[in-house]
Amino acid sequence: MSVFDIAKGMGVTLGHLFKKPVTVTYPEQPVDVKPRFRGRHHLLRHPDTNLEKCIGCSLCAAACPAYAIYVEAAENDPDHPTSAGERYAKIYEINMLRCIFCGFCEEACPTGAVVLGHEFELADFKYEDFVYGKEDMLVGTKGSKWQRREAEKKGKDVKIGFTSGPRPELEGVDY
Amino acid sequence: MKVKVNDVELDLPPGTSAIDAVFAAGYDVPYFCSQEYMSPIGACRMCLAVVGAPRKERDGSWIMDEATGEPKIFYFPNPMATCTTAVMEGMVIDTLSDVTKKAQGGMMEMHLINHPLDCPTCDKGGACELQDRAYEYGSGESRFVFTKRHNEKHHALSDLITLDRERCIHCKRCVRYFEEVPGDEVLDFIERGGHTFIGTVEDGLPSNFSGNITDICPVGALLDTTSRFRGRNWEYDHTRSTSLDDASGSAITIDARTGRIERIKGALNTQVNKNWIDDGTRFGHEYVDSGDRIKTPLLRKNGKLEPVTWEEATHFIAEKLKTLSGDALGIVLRSDATLEEGVAAKALADHLKTGQIDHYPRYASSVIPANPASFNDLATAGAIFVMADATEEVPMIDLRIKDALKGVNPPTLMPHGVPIADLRLKERMPRKTNILTVAAPYRVDLMKHAGQVIDYKAGTEAQLLQQILDGSTDAGKALKESLTAADNAVIVLGAFVLNSAEASKLADDLAKATGAKLMKLGAMANSFGLEAQDVLPAKSDYSYPNMLAGSAKGLIVSGLNPAQNAEVAQMLGGLELLVVHDLFENETTALAHVVLPAKSGYEKEGTVVNLEGRYLSVNAAPVDGGQAVDFTGVVKELGDALGERLEGRSVRSSRRLLKKELELDLNDLPLEGTVVAAKSGKVSGLKPNSSGNALLVPSMVRPEYLSRNPHLLASTGGNALRLHPADAASYQLSNHDVIRVSVGGFKRLLSVHISESIPEGTLLLPALPDQPAGLVQVDVNSIRKEQFALEVA
Repeated sequence: MSVFDIAKGMGVTLGHLFKKPVTVTYPEQPVDVKPRFRGRHHLLRHPDTNLEKCIGCSLCAAACPAYAIYVEAAENDPDHPTSAGERYAKIYEINMLRCIFCGFCEEACPTGAVVLGHEFELADFKYEDFVYGKEDMLVGTKGSKWQRREAEKKGKDVKIGFTSGPRPELEGVDY
Repeated sequence: MKVKVNDVELDLPPGTSAIDAVFAAGYDVPYFCSQEYMSPIGACRMCLAVVGAPRKERDGSWIMDEATGEPKIFYFPNPMATCTTAVMEGMVIDTLSDVTKKAQGGMMEMHLINHPLDCPTCDKGGACELQDRAYEYGSGESRFVFTKRHNEKHHALSDLITLDRERCIHCKRCVRYFEEVPGDEVLDFIERGGHTFIGTVEDGLPSNFSGNITDICPVGALLDTTSRFRGRNWEYDHTRSTSLDDASGSAITIDARTGRIERIKGALNTQVNKNWIDDGTRFGHEYVDSGDRIKTPLLRKNGKLEPVTWEEATHFIAEKLKTLSGDALGIVLRSDATLEEGVAAKALADHLKTGQIDHYPRYASSVIPANPASFNDLATAGAIFVMADATEEVPMIDLRIKDALKGVNPPTLMPHGVPIADLRLKERMPRKTNILTVAAPYRVDLMKHAGQVIDYKAGTEAQLLQQILDGSTDAGKALKESLTAADNAVIVLGAFVLNSAEASKLADDLAKATGAKLMKLGAMANSFGLEAQDVLPAKSDYSYPNMLAGSAKGLIVSGLNPAQNAEVAQMLGGLELLVVHDLFENETTALAHVVLPAKSGYEKEGTVVNLEGRYLSVNAAPVDGGQAVDFTGVVKELGDALGERLEGRSVRSSRRLLKKELELDLNDLPLEGTVVAAKSGKVSGLKPNSSGNALLVPSMVRPEYLSRNPHLLASTGGNALRLHPADAASYQLSNHDVIRVSVGGFKRLLSVHISESIPEGTLLLPALPDQPAGLVQVDVNSIRKEQFALEVA
């Protein structure tokens, strides 16, 4: 190794000193995530009928390599259906501690009901708070359980720490 | 017969179907319409294969292929349905050729034309024959671009079975099943071609065996309503076990998920129930998941039962047991307790030096015959005399009798198991009804299929048997002659005979005189085993009814509810110690000092002995029973409190004892069970009523749990009081009235069913474990009509 090589290496460092930094001062400043980023799941609705897309088929649970999903189905009331079809998910739970965010559930879903969104700020205090139910994931719910709890306590809107581009699969999800 | 399947040469008996030859050779063809134990009809055309056989010259010699010097194979011009083709000498079956593959793929595409693509919502998904076969043999795409047939998606065939008419592929299994197996023709095809659908004429499926069609449906068209949308097939834990609902020992598969039983399916036991189970067994499981189960021990403190630890509960009992020495304590098990529980109870009784031990319900005579018949004896019998309501008491007897009426012996097993297409079986076979004689004090279901029917008045069983034995009536004489003449005659005795020691003795004499084998229908699942294990009182004064009459000062009761009787309740209230081991709170737990949580028959590990004397394994399904234990567990906990390691403190410990005695390792029983000869026990101490205005009759659904089985409750309308219109008029009752009435001291809630077929002057109502079948006095003055309609959840 010669002095010239060292100078060349230092040159690279020096060059980066004058570039725009990639780090952001999160949480004051939002992170920009890519459209295909895999974060917390969303359960979607059909935008025209507002019925849930999930039919409780449990294929996501079958595909899940981490056994993070639990589904219990029930029959739709024909007069007031919850989902478009015969059955709907009475219980739909994902354990966010077990989930490895691989996206297999999304791939297995025959109706495109479960889609991994961009939310990643899932930290919380108790084990049970990491089990997300339907009400925590249905479209229209913004933020993690903790974020929503904080927002309610302070009487403010949920503040999420990222910006992202649109993804067509996330039908109806608005960050 | 020499048959060649692809490259495998087989030697098969004549009459074997080609599809069985294919499976015996280890190859596979798809099929939807063939079903074990049913006639093959070739409806689905899926099992097509290229089939050929050599031909003979007029002189009897084979036509030879000149090129090879072997007999020339003449192929059928088109692929043949192998399920309806019998094997021939020298037959060649090709299941791997392109012609076969194309034919099967084409048929698959045809089946899927009208089949909806709703697998994700279908309960059969994951265990569906059509789904599996489409994956294996389908071409993967459809050329049918038009709209599919649309039809009713949830047609309730009965309260227990839902039909999805879009999914039906017209394999005809369910239609054939009803005609061939139980002989109740309640279902048929309506319309033609693509418009064909399955339907009934009357409402519901009036058969005790309707649930089996949900097992055999190759698609998700026929579904068990109790388990609809409860889970997917791959999520269930499947536990093979033995049903504890009746004395047949039918094999079942318990499907459980997250600590709940979601459904019961029939399992294969070629010696007992074949593939079938009755509706009581299939749909009568919902009580197990009922929310009000006792899940922890309860101890009475200041007059109130409070949840306590096992330790506290058993120490309280141990303390009390010090003062209750010797024969002051009584121990009673319900007759569906396992053999291991029986051994544990006996060990506990021995340790406490009490002779007051019993199992109940039981009858006044032994249920262990000297010459017991097996189910297969029954199915091949040349003459059958049934003196019981077999269809309700042990429904499997009814099904196996219908095998005998068809005159087709049980099939010989093939290398792949039961033959898929048994060519001896046909649709609408003539039945040999003249071999069957049914005697009962009221109109029973089996009489529809019987050549001779004997009506007698309840309580006169002994006289009737005496007449048959003497040959003093024409019918009796003819019956005795036919029983004597037949190669293999079987006499089936139910509760009404067994409840009378005299009638039972005469029936034994009749069996001896005619050379017939006997089948005695025990009151509950393990009546045979508990009697064989001698879980019986040391002397007749110590029987369960005597204990309730005051022979015991302390009582440990498992599974029974004696306090339904007001008089008994008063006596129980005065006991020094009353321990109740049960699933639910009831009249007896209301008086108990200690209540211990019990396991249901689906959660237990153990062994039962069915009415043939066959030892069968009962395996535990993963059900959330809280701290519930079976009786071996009670003995263990009590032993801990007493500072003793009692025998029978676990299933393993009980089995060790039984192994010595029976020379049979119960840990290692074959799936079909093992028959061990047994001697009848010293059954005594029971004095059943010999008169009364009503008859307690056995029922397929368990009346004690009916209110917690919402679907069965809806389909049966509750426990029924059946009576003749004339009686109904005199008691001012009308159909579907819900009444409370005192029956032999028991307060019963019953719904009124009026029918011409009930003998006048006799009321029929279901027997309870604490009120076994037999005559009883109904206090007609105590009838009170309930204002509300029976609540149906």
